[in-house]
Amino acid sequence: MALIDDSAIRRELKNIADYIRSLRREINALQANDLRHRRIPAAGHELAAIVEATEQASNTIMACAEAAMAADPSDPAAYRAFVADRMTAVFEACAFQDITGQRVAKVVETLEHIEARVSRFAEATGAKDAGGHASDKEADEAERKLRLFIHGPPLAGDGAGQSEIDAIIEGEAKSATQDDIDRLFIKNS
Amino acid sequence: MSADVSMPILIVDDYKTMIRIIRNLLKQLGFEDVDEAADGSEALNKMRGRRYGLVISDWNMEPMTGYELLKEVRSDPALVKTPFIMVTAESKTENVIAAKKAGVNNYIVKPFNAQTLRSKIDAVFAD
Repeated sequence: MALIDDSAIRRELKNIADYIRSLRREINALQANDLRHRRIPAAGHELAAIVEATEQASNTIMACAEAAMAADPSDPAAYRAFVADRMTAVFEACAFQDITGQRVAKVVETLEHIEARVSRFAEATGAKDAGGHASDKEADEAERKLRLFIHGPPLAGDGAGQSEIDAIIEGEAKSATQDDIDRLFIKNS
Repeated sequence: MSADVSMPILIVDDYKTMIRIIRNLLKQLGFEDVDEAADGSEALNKMRGRRYGLVISDWNMEPMTGYELLKEVRSDPALVKTPFIMVTAESKTENVIAAKKAGVNNYIVKPFNAQTLRSKIDAVFAD
């Protein structure tokens, strides 16, 4: 029977303890509670406010346009004054962009804050990404998006343009890629 | 053959703002009888209660997408011939191919203008 080397075991246990200490330091540095309870909800509120502001502005602008188009032009002076008044309201509504720009900047700041901490954590722990989804809900949503071809609006240059779409609809498109074809044959679950 | 401006049109979109934009553009083109639905299932219910001359639908809606609505319409003998235009920000080639395979009559990518809407409606009714 081999003799147990106490000093080697002690060294190994110390290494494990050091690793756990450093892991705990990195986990704390993530500031997960601050992210979860303050920064991410705040970013969500900013995004909701952006949606609300853009919707309000769109409604105001459309109401002005509708009113101008429906206005009676039989009295030119009154018509001009009315249209000028509506156009002033359009200019005022466009001020939303300044405010939403500032809100977007706050959300970007939060994303950068999260990115910095997650990057540091991944590097410090040598994390390797596991596959799969965090929850059944997330998995279901991913499957639905894949099955129903839901991608959301593409960035500039990423999606097909109207003329390319017209060519496909009119049957003049160049051949689709294998990926395009493969996606058409994914069985619905 | 051109589109009959008196035909009822159903706009399907989950954004009220987009419905309002399309409704105004259609009004400019002379179409006054315009109805609306907020997703595919509401649209399907309305279509089973009234015969529409044209459906203009967004793709990405919940619970039923415009793509699912299109497939339902094309599999229902009572609705199968209803002209269907997809108006969406989904502009991947695979989306257009899938919609075409499912029987869409035309496809407009957002953002779009009145001229594009007019030309696609004209194209649908010229077929």
